[in-house]
Amino acid sequence: MAKYILKRVLISIVTLWVLVTVVFILVRCMPGEPFQGEKMTPEIKANLEAYYGFDKSLPEQYIMYVRNLLSGDFGYSMKYLNQSVNKIIAQSFPYSFDLGIRAIVFSVSFGIIFGIIAALNRGKKLDYLCVVIAILGTSIPDFIMGAILQYLFGIKWGLLPVAQYLGFRYTILPAVGVGFYTLAMVSRLMRASMLEVVQQDYIKTAKAKGLSKAEIVCSHQIRNAITPVVTVLGPVVASILCGTFVIESIFAIPGMGKYYVESVQNLDYSLVLGMTVFYGSFLILSNLVVDILYGVIDPRIRLQESR
Amino acid sequence: MRKRWTALFLAGLMAVSMAGCSTPGSNVENESKTEEGTDGETEGGEQKVFRYSVTSDVSTLDPQKNNESTSGTIGYHTGEGLTRSMDGVVHPGLAEEWEVSEDGLTYTFHLRDAKYSDGEKITAQDFEYAMKRIVDPKTASQFAFIAKPLENADEITAGTKDVDELGVEAVDDNTLVCKLGFPAPYFLQVISMSQFYPTREDLVEKYGEEFAADGDKNVYSGPFCLKEWKQNDRIILEKNPMYWDADKVNLDRVEILIVADENTALAMYEAGELDYVNVPTDAVANYPDAEFYKMGAEDFIKLNTGDGPLANKNFRLALNYGLDRKEFIKLSTNDIWEPATRFVLPDVGGFEGTFGEDYPYEAFPLEEDQKKAEEYLNTALKELGIASASDITLELLTSDLERTKKEAEVLQALLGEALGINISISMIPFADRVERENKGEYEMVVSGILPDYPDPISFLESWETTSPYNHCNYSYEEYDNLLQKAYHTGDAKERMDTLAEAEKVFMEDGGLVPLQFRMNARLVSDKVTGVTNYFSGYSINFIYADVK
Repeated sequence: MAKYILKRVLISIVTLWVLVTVVFILVRCMPGEPFQGEKMTPEIKANLEAYYGFDKSLPEQYIMYVRNLLSGDFGYSMKYLNQSVNKIIAQSFPYSFDLGIRAIVFSVSFGIIFGIIAALNRGKKLDYLCVVIAILGTSIPDFIMGAILQYLFGIKWGLLPVAQYLGFRYTILPAVGVGFYTLAMVSRLMRASMLEVVQQDYIKTAKAKGLSKAEIVCSHQIRNAITPVVTVLGPVVASILCGTFVIESIFAIPGMGKYYVESVQNLDYSLVLGMTVFYGSFLILSNLVVDILYGVIDPRIRLQESR
Repeated sequence: MRKRWTALFLAGLMAVSMAGCSTPGSNVENESKTEEGTDGETEGGEQKVFRYSVTSDVSTLDPQKNNESTSGTIGYHTGEGLTRSMDGVVHPGLAEEWEVSEDGLTYTFHLRDAKYSDGEKITAQDFEYAMKRIVDPKTASQFAFIAKPLENADEITAGTKDVDELGVEAVDDNTLVCKLGFPAPYFLQVISMSQFYPTREDLVEKYGEEFAADGDKNVYSGPFCLKEWKQNDRIILEKNPMYWDADKVNLDRVEILIVADENTALAMYEAGELDYVNVPTDAVANYPDAEFYKMGAEDFIKLNTGDGPLANKNFRLALNYGLDRKEFIKLSTNDIWEPATRFVLPDVGGFEGTFGEDYPYEAFPLEEDQKKAEEYLNTALKELGIASASDITLELLTSDLERTKKEAEVLQALLGEALGINISISMIPFADRVERENKGEYEMVVSGILPDYPDPISFLESWETTSPYNHCNYSYEEYDNLLQKAYHTGDAKERMDTLAEAEKVFMEDGGLVPLQFRMNARLVSDKVTGVTNYFSGYSINFIYADVK
C-alpha cells in the first residue's frame, strides 16, 4: 500500500510541474495584450511591462515564476492592482469551498439514496420519479436553475434570501443550484451500477446462503455498486469546491468562480496562472485521494499493486 | 454494515449542520449588526445607511493607479482634490482659492486647513508628491497620460526627464504652484480626479505594493473613509469626521455590494436589500418610473482611413448618410440608448453651458438620407474607379460580447441594404479586438470612448495626426491646425469655438460613423434623496445624499 501511495504522489508532482509549464506558455500565447486601453501610449506600456518584469526574456520570466511558486508566491494580479493572487485566492476560496461542501453533501447523499430507491423499485412509479429528477438535473442548465430557484423561493414566496452569503439561510438555494447536476448524475450512476451488480454471481451466492434481502442490499449490492460513484467524485469534488462561475454570479457569492472567466478575459497573466495552478493542484490532490480510497474500497486494486 | 452506513449518514448531517454555523460571510452580518447597535446607542439615534451595488469589483484604490469608473467613484467619496467637480461644475475642494496667470500657464492654489482621517494636516507637499507619483515611470500608472497638461509630464513618463522637473512645486505647507506646458482650461477639471488627490509619502513607503490594498492601508481626505473592502463582495464606507465639510454630510455609512448579475441586483432592490439600482436594458420596459441618465460612453464605427474605399472622404460620408441611426437603436438596444448624430457628447462642458447647449449641431440626420448617401457613393465609386458598390467588401471588427455582436449584425444589414456594399463581420474576444484596434489591423471596428474629463478635447484629441492614440491612420491638416490652435490659445471662449469647429470639420470629412450615447436607467428608493449621476470622475454621487 505504501508503495502504491508513493507512486501516485510522484506522478501527481510531475503532473503539476507539466501543468505549470504548459499553462505558463499557453497564457502568453493568448491573443491580445494585458496592457491596453484607449489611451495607452508606448511609453506607458513600456513602464508597465518593466514593472511586471515582462521586459525580460521568457525563460528568465519562467524561472522567476517557478522560483516564486516554490516559495508559495503567486505574484500580484494585473487587473486588481495591489492585490496579491494569494490574497485573492485566500479570500474567495473559503466561500467556494463552503458552498461546495454543502452542495456535495446534498447531492451525493440524495443522489445515492435516489439511485438506490430507483434501482430497488425498477419499473415502478418511484423509479420513474427518480429518473425524471435525474433528467431534469442533467438537462436544465445551471443559470436557469439558479434563476428559477431565486425567483420562486426568493422573490415569489419570500422564503429565502435572494442573494449574498451571510448565513445558513443564504446557503440553501446556491447549494441546491450547484449540487443539482451532480445529484442527477450520481443517482443515475448509482441506479445503473446497482442494477448491474444485482446480476453478479456473489449476489446469487448471498441469496443461496440465505441472507435477508436487506442484508444483501446493504452489505453486498451497495458496497459494490458505489465504486463507480467514488471514481467520478474526484474531479467533481474538485470542480465544485473551486467555485462555479454561474451560480456564484447569480447569487452574488464572492467565491473563486468569477476569477477563472474574468482573469482570462482580462489577460491577467498572474491571476490566470495562479487560479489554474491552484485548481490543478486541487484536482490532482482529489484524484490522488480517490486513487487511495479505491485501494481501501476495492481490495483487488490493493492486492494487484502490492504484487 | 448497516451501522456503518447510519454512522456515515449521521456524520454527513452533522457536517451540514456544523458548517451551517460558520459560513465565511456570516461574521460580516454579525459584525455590521453589532456595530450598528453600539453606534446607535452612543449617538442615541439610528444610523443613516445607503446601499447600492456595482457589477464588478474596483481594480484598485491606489489614487494614482486608479484606472476605471468604479475605482473613480469610490475615490471621489473617500478623497478630495484641489478642486471638486460636481455634475461637471468645478467647486473649490481642498484648495480654498486659486489664481491663474494671464497666459493661462501658471496656477497658484491656496489650501484650506484640512486634515486626513488620521488627524494629520493635509499639506501642499502631499499634492506635489501625488502629481510626481502619477508620471513617475516607477509607479507605472496606466493613467499617467492624465497629467499631460503639467510641464514635462509626458517626457518624465517616457523616461527622458527626471521626475523633479515636473511643473509642480509646494511653496509652503499651504501653497502649491502648478506650471503647465500649454494653456488647458480643463486643468481645473483634471485635478479634481482621484489621481491628483493628496497622497502621503510615508504611507506609500510603509506599505509598498500593498498601499491602499485595504481600508487601513491609506488615509482619507474626502467625506468618507474606506472602512472595509472585501474583494468581490462588498465595500463599506463610513463618514469621515475629520473632513472639512463634514457638517453637510448626512450619511453615516454606505454599503456597496458587488453583484455581478444585474438581474440579481434588481431582485435585491425589489426585496428591499438595496436602495439604488441600475435597471438592465432588457428589463427597462417593466419599469416606467426608471430615470435615465447618460453613462458618458459613446459608440462609433472607427474607420481605418489608411487606404481602400475608407480613405475616400465621399465613401465615408456615404456610410454616414446611409445609416439609419433610429432603426439601429431600435434593433440593437430597444430604443433605450440615444442615437449619436454628432461626435462630441453634448453633455461635456462648453463655454457657458454644456457643449451641446453652446454649440447645437446635427452632423448627420437621425434617419438615413438615401438621396445624399447615393450621391456620395456614386462620386466615391467614380473616384475610386470601382464599377459597382457590390464590388466593395469591408471587414467590420467587433468583440464577441452579446451586445456588440448584435450591433455588428444590425450594422451589416442596415449599411448593406442602404449602400449595396458587402460587410463581413469578424468577431473576436474583447482583448484581441482592442489589440488589433491599437495596432491598426482592421478596416472598420465598433469602438467607443468614455471621456476621462468632461471636455470636448477628451473626444477630439485621438484623431490628431500626431496623437499617440490615433490608431486609424487618420490625418487631416485642417483638423490638426484647429486642434493646435485650441491647445495654444489662452482664451477660453476662442478655445471652445475652435473645438466646436474642429468637430464640424471632422464630421464633414466623415472621420468616423457616430452610433450612440449609452444610457443607464436607475431606480432609487423613496427613502433616499440627493443621489446624482455623472459620467466623468464618478458615476454616482452620494456625498450630500440623505436617508429618511
